[in-house]
Amino acid sequence: MHEYSIVQELLSVAAVEARRAGAVRVTGLHCRIGALRQLDHRLLLEAFELLRSETVCAEAELRIETTFVTACCGRCQHEYAVHDWNWDCPRCGGSGHPLGGGDELDLISLEAEIAA
Amino acid sequence: MNIPVVEKILRKNEQAARQNRACFDSHGLTCVNILGGAGCGKTSLLEAVLPSLRDALRIGVLEGDLATTRDAERIAALQIPVVQILTGGGCHLTATLVDAGLQHLDLAALDLLVIENVGNPICPANFDLGEHLRLAVLSVTEGHDKPAKYPLLFKDTSLVVLTKCDLLPHTDFDVRAAEGDLRRLRPELEILSTSARTGSGIDALAAWLRAHIRRSA
Repeated sequence: MHEYSIVQELLSVAAVEARRAGAVRVTGLHCRIGALRQLDHRLLLEAFELLRSETVCAEAELRIETTFVTACCGRCQHEYAVHDWNWDCPRCGGSGHPLGGGDELDLISLEAEIAA
Repeated sequence: MNIPVVEKILRKNEQAARQNRACFDSHGLTCVNILGGAGCGKTSLLEAVLPSLRDALRIGVLEGDLATTRDAERIAALQIPVVQILTGGGCHLTATLVDAGLQHLDLAALDLLVIENVGNPICPANFDLGEHLRLAVLSVTEGHDKPAKYPLLFKDTSLVVLTKCDLLPHTDFDVRAAEGDLRRLRPELEILSTSARTGSGIDALAAWLRAHIRRSA
């Protein structure tokens, strides 16, 4: 249950970046979170709703984009995204090994209103 | 308007981890972060392996837990300097919590700092503490499906230690299946079978630690 600490960190990064950009109100946050992080998105959204009050993100919406591990099939060399931790190649059924990705935990962008 | 950011959400922890690592490096000590689920045998493993390392290395331990000082008391009984970090319910250690714990240890007098993380197979794997080596502990009583279920714990680890292997005949743990799932995450991953109770594999773990401490120090 590390969702709450992650959201707390997210809000503090967002506050710094919003201030730097001269934003008065953040209306949206776009995050990229890899499946390897095993974060429950419902809990993230729940934590975000609770923790955003009285911050510059109080009225912001959180958009989470999920990324997956990219695997390469040992038999046919096909590259594919690993879903639900099924590593088998969707093309030939061979066994795949990870190439990378799926461990992202990034704030990609803010949607904000800038002071006039 | 859209403001591109592209920042690590955990950048504060990563900064603190870098500071911890620089601090360890400046003292020439090696830091090992030990991760694994609650009850997988992390403390018992330390009780088994640390006494044999103590003659050659000066060792200190940081014990992370939600509550009680029981683990720290077990390490203190070995006459090894230990600091208990209580998270008060937090499911993992952070680099900042480790930094606070370090204030109570004389780092200049240490070659090896062992951090025993909070027992939890998921959350601690997300937080770099500034360690040089990461050990993932998996007990045979937990089941061989755990590497498939918690890939982040095992993916970037320096070594996987199987514990409680004396109990293998009494469990359905399939060593080959577990090794298969682990090696899928990383083909060259080192896996060591141990039993703190019988002492099997403990010498090999001590040798592994000695070899890696010399290499990274």
